[in-house]
Amino acid sequence: MTKKAFAPRQLIGENRPTLWMAPLLAVVTLFYLYPAFEVLRFSITDASLLEPNYDYTLNTFKNVLSDPVLYKVLRITAIFVAASVVLQLTLGLLIAVAVNRARRRRLPGMVFMRSIILSAWVMPGVVIGIVWAIILNEASYGLANLVLAPVGLGGKAWLSDPNLALMSIIIANVWRGTAFSMILQYAGLQSIPDELYDAAEVDGASTLQSFWYITIPQLRPILMINIILITIQTLNSFDMVLALTGGGPGQATEVLALHTYNVIFREYSLAEGAVLAVIMLLISLVLTLGYRRLLRSEGTV
Amino acid sequence: MRQWVALSVRLAVVLAVVGVVVGCGGGGGSVLTLDRIGKEDAPNSMTLQLNASYTHQSSTPSWADGFERLFTKFAKDHPDWKLELEIIPDDQTTQEQARLLEEARVGRAPDCANVDSFVVAQFIEQGALQPIDQYFTEEEIDGLFPFVSDIVVGDDGKMYAYWFATDGRILYRRTDLVPEAPRTWDELIEAANAAEEKDPKVDGYLFNGGRWEGTTFDNLAHFWSQGGELVDEQGKPIFGEEPHRTYMLNEMNFLKESVDSGASPQRVATIKDYAEFEAAAQAQQVAMFQGGDFQYPTLKETLPPEEFKKWEVSLLPTRSAGDTPSSGSGGWTIGSFSDDPKKVEMCMEFTKDVFIGGMNEVTGQLPTNPKYFDTINRFDEPIYDDFRVMLEHGKARPGVPVYPTMSEEIQVAIGTVLTEEATPEEALDRAYKASLAAYEEQKK
Repeated sequence: MTKKAFAPRQLIGENRPTLWMAPLLAVVTLFYLYPAFEVLRFSITDASLLEPNYDYTLNTFKNVLSDPVLYKVLRITAIFVAASVVLQLTLGLLIAVAVNRARRRRLPGMVFMRSIILSAWVMPGVVIGIVWAIILNEASYGLANLVLAPVGLGGKAWLSDPNLALMSIIIANVWRGTAFSMILQYAGLQSIPDELYDAAEVDGASTLQSFWYITIPQLRPILMINIILITIQTLNSFDMVLALTGGGPGQATEVLALHTYNVIFREYSLAEGAVLAVIMLLISLVLTLGYRRLLRSEGTV
Repeated sequence: MRQWVALSVRLAVVLAVVGVVVGCGGGGGSVLTLDRIGKEDAPNSMTLQLNASYTHQSSTPSWADGFERLFTKFAKDHPDWKLELEIIPDDQTTQEQARLLEEARVGRAPDCANVDSFVVAQFIEQGALQPIDQYFTEEEIDGLFPFVSDIVVGDDGKMYAYWFATDGRILYRRTDLVPEAPRTWDELIEAANAAEEKDPKVDGYLFNGGRWEGTTFDNLAHFWSQGGELVDEQGKPIFGEEPHRTYMLNEMNFLKESVDSGASPQRVATIKDYAEFEAAAQAQQVAMFQGGDFQYPTLKETLPPEEFKKWEVSLLPTRSAGDTPSSGSGGWTIGSFSDDPKKVEMCMEFTKDVFIGGMNEVTGQLPTNPKYFDTINRFDEPIYDDFRVMLEHGKARPGVPVYPTMSEEIQVAIGTVLTEEATPEEALDRAYKASLAAYEEQKK
């Protein structure tokens, strides 16, 4: 048997990227996989922040899954995520199309407009929550009611009516997330060759037909990425809700991420919080796989 | 000659810049830097975790100046010690208490730290804090308001943390709209409605009803004043068992009645910040609110003098005229997690020099020993006599592990009652069931 000489090039060559990947693997393992593993491990314990000792048990899963509050929270989360995703996607697309058309026509001020839109996205969630709490304050000096009063729409219980409160957090979240959605779709629109639109124009296609038969099919991969990202982002968002309603009135706006935060940091139940985190992870995974499958079946990915 | 002048000026500028950098950035000669109290080369050191508000980095300039003065004096009086500062931003104190508990469990907690009075009993129960009574005279310990010693003294009779600042809940009212302080809930609702009739722009009575700790804590006074107790001696929730159940239902029905009668607007179900009351007072749109003593300085500062004169405070009304009023009291303590007796002693030296009396003078936060109302100039104003009486009726939240869950459940219950999603009975039964389940789970 002949002994092969050590050849570092074979390790780092084009077909053997082991060494190149090693730092990335180390970072992913240390900062993503290990914490995720710990969450999984804690979910099968009865660990509490108040008690140093814990046992391994599946009872925590049983307790969380048999708690009727979980299903109320899941229902609220489903409405919050679905409405937010649909609205962010639609509004983001409309703004992106408008900005793109303006760019093609070389209208001035487009950079300024993009910057204004993006400012909502770069704001921390807590600040957005506070800003919207001021806008939607139900006192007579609340901004929304003040503005709507002259047209007879003042005096709305934006935050104290359970249904309106849910709508209010959706509005605030859409305001926050539309900019991100717009930027992704705007980037996608810019990659569509102008020749396609020129050809459509020559063929006599209307604006709506161009949008439906050129823009949407060309944008589909970006739309998928966008849907996945904003779904996960919305599912994980709790800071804005915490600042705006705190989950109230009662539990009318308690989304899953906020519920998890409350269980861990206010009730000190590490194990139940870990179970809720696992549920969130599973929901994200199922939705992501669902979206991929949907788009793959249409032959686009 | 001109060259010499130019050179001297440059040298002076360089020295000044170096001086500033050393002063701010932690040079060995400075006794106070961003992260240290005491000289860099001091032979003994101790880690000290404080809330940002209680340091020279407070966002309130007068507090920052006051703590800078206290810290500098402390450092000069203790030249052999340096205190390595860990400063917790004010908006992270809730999460921080959970983290501190976790650190204490694995022996990595700071030597000396601020602990919320709300959770200090849990730290005591865990055995995380060191006893400190040997550093105080009997008179100093016995002089504390009763609700304070109930919390910081463990079952073994030893004191484990010094509670240095407290507060209480009190009724603020505009005397031009409500001349007489209401003594009962019925009088309160009646006075609120009468005030709204006098001035249709105002809300009669505002209180915390949103989703946060203040909603449970502020309104517990109505439960406690009837004789209600949340937990028994073993820490088991009993607020769903008679007679406490009736007391809690009375509290919820009173809050519901205040909204149903129009004395309070429905938006109380969204109030989760005391600043809402101040905003309403500034807009001259509230006749009465259930607030904290800590709002008095803000009102004094922000209201025009002629408006401010209209405001007075009184003890919270009770269900019947003969009931003893109550007032929820919270605040901050300081304790030592160190096994080293020298560090425990230094932690208490620091507490005495900076936090007992000194911080109360700087911040205006109420002391936990009534004698300081007489010795601190800041509390000379007559209103502080009212606050002192309020603290005599003070009651702290039970320091049991299940309290945070009970609080969450009661917040939800009050919210659902105010928005008519549930009857008081349904809401209370659900809150009690969930609290009991959490207690049973913790007991395992």
